[in-house]
Amino acid sequence: MAILSLKNVSKKFGETEIIRNVSLDIVEGEKHAIIGPNGAGKSTLFHLISGRHGVTSGTIEFKGEPIHNLSPYEITRRGLARSFQVTNIFPRLNVFENVRCALLWSMGYRYSFWTLLGRAEKLNQKARATLNEIGLADKAHYPAGQLAYAEQRALELGIAIAGGGDMVMLDEPVAGMSHSEAASAVELIRRVTEGKTLVMVEHDMGIVFDVADRITVLVYGEVIASDIPERVRANPKVQEAYLGAAKEAEENA
Amino acid sequence: MNLLKKLSLWIGFAIALLVLPRFFDSILATSILNQMAIAIIFALSYNMLLGQGGMLSFGHAVYFGLGGFMAVHALSMIEFETAYFSVTLIPLIGGLFGLAAGIFIGSFSTRKAGTVFAMITLGLGELVAASSLILVDFFGGEEGVSADRTFGPEFFGVDFAQSIEIYYLAAAWVFITTVLMYLFTQTPSGRMANAVRDNPERAEFIGYSARKVRFISFCASGFFAGVAGGLFALNYEIVTEENLNAATSGRVLLMAYIGGLGYFIGPIIGAVVLTLMNSLLSNYTELWMLYLGIMFVLTVMFLPQGFAGFIMMHQSAWVRRRLRYLILPYLTTGIPALVFVVSSVAMLEMSHTESDVFDFLGIPFDPSGWLSWLVLAATALGPGCPVCDTPFPAPAFRCLGISKRRQAETGLRPWRYSP
Repeated sequence: MAILSLKNVSKKFGETEIIRNVSLDIVEGEKHAIIGPNGAGKSTLFHLISGRHGVTSGTIEFKGEPIHNLSPYEITRRGLARSFQVTNIFPRLNVFENVRCALLWSMGYRYSFWTLLGRAEKLNQKARATLNEIGLADKAHYPAGQLAYAEQRALELGIAIAGGGDMVMLDEPVAGMSHSEAASAVELIRRVTEGKTLVMVEHDMGIVFDVADRITVLVYGEVIASDIPERVRANPKVQEAYLGAAKEAEENA
Repeated sequence: MNLLKKLSLWIGFAIALLVLPRFFDSILATSILNQMAIAIIFALSYNMLLGQGGMLSFGHAVYFGLGGFMAVHALSMIEFETAYFSVTLIPLIGGLFGLAAGIFIGSFSTRKAGTVFAMITLGLGELVAASSLILVDFFGGEEGVSADRTFGPEFFGVDFAQSIEIYYLAAAWVFITTVLMYLFTQTPSGRMANAVRDNPERAEFIGYSARKVRFISFCASGFFAGVAGGLFALNYEIVTEENLNAATSGRVLLMAYIGGLGYFIGPIIGAVVLTLMNSLLSNYTELWMLYLGIMFVLTVMFLPQGFAGFIMMHQSAWVRRRLRYLILPYLTTGIPALVFVVSSVAMLEMSHTESDVFDFLGIPFDPSGWLSWLVLAATALGPGCPVCDTPFPAPAFRCLGISKRRQAETGLRPWRYSP
């Protein structure tokens, strides 16, 4: 069953059409990767789904209900969590507060100004558990802005998953990491998204083919293939548009 | 025992509030203490916006003033027996009116933070200040509105005719509101205010409307500003346009900033320091506003975390019991800095004096002779910074004369000016 379903989604910025008539189904529980050359519109597609931008035309349904043109917080409350390509944390709050804030809404605290968080045992336990999961327990009291890059990426992921969304969208989760950092980040992603639907944008083909159950290829704002990894790899259109381009670049290098 | 330790800071605060008038018991001192109490609540309420919520407001005096006007009207109602309650509750009236104003104005001004918010608050501040001279019935025109606080039921035999009685009432309100404002920072709304300050976009992606989070802080801040305004009305028994204009808004910004935005205690320090400067320094010199301005600029440049940040900088040295390593460097920079400040003040005052002989610290200077200027300029710029071997003054302020080795030993990290 499709948890997320895009039908004929288009997005124009002025006259420029960035996303052209995209239709896509994400099946509940699957690990789905979106790949494509630079400027193909992968991040824009993420922004459309998560509510950062509104769509120009078409519909997006999440769990059977339309979510296009809703605000980000309304979409998040329905159980769709996301991370960002450029680290997007709360730099002056400490690591623990970052995660705890991300937990607040899902645990029903809403805009309360009469509950003291110091006494919310269950919340604090859950925040500590999340910190353990992302391996930042010993950095709990550091201001998030002072963490090393890979740690900030882990925190970015932690904030995204803390809220307990059923579907997690990760925008280039291992971009800029060293090889070993990326490997442990992938392990972490696998662990924390277990049993959840995962959609990720990623450039590292090794990781994509390793993690994904299905792959969607986006070129110039259009979906040219959406299938299981083997068939995507074999698809001549994909080879031409994407893998071929990468090969050419490799040969030139 | 653990609870007592946790509460020790608050108990200390309460005791300080109670014993202060025993040490400073002149009429002037009581009046200054009352001003401080009002300023503390006002500055803390401002920090809910700027320090906690990241909203730079140029019109916070609006809520202070509106609360004050409403409070003064409430006092008149007690006097003319259209209402019957104790004047101890007057600050609450001010607070509720500040809250109402906050709800109305916040409903459209908190959509965005940053420049848009700042401009809206500036415009509204001007608007309310201007209309206060037009709506004479409520604001009383240029002479303002006055009342008498000694009517209504007595509070355990106290009629608040004396200003020391007002002090204890103000101290009680300071304590209550400070506790409440502190507790607010520990609630989901208070924490999300910090999160929205840091990164409003991400806050929306964890389920919170940044606008609504700002709105709640804004309303709370309006309430506490109104309480401060109500205390002002009670203390002075008169409220005028001056209490809600841009100058008052600017002053509360200075208090919060100089004290330190990042720390809960910062605005309290700022309120105390600025009230002292305002009421004591102005007795000695007409230039006190200039000194205040210079202090603000220096704070922004060299202590962006304010006085509270400067104090907190020593936390690690304190924990490691290495504060004594700092005595020598502080003396070797402090003394030249003091000479520099004194000589500069002398030059400023001398340029301002109208008499033929300028008497400074018992030394007569001749304001029209070049020798006096030369001597003062030489003493101001003479001593370099002995520790970092650079010419005084700028580097001394920047490094506070503490060598890298001392910094490592004590864990002291001076804040540097980063534009």
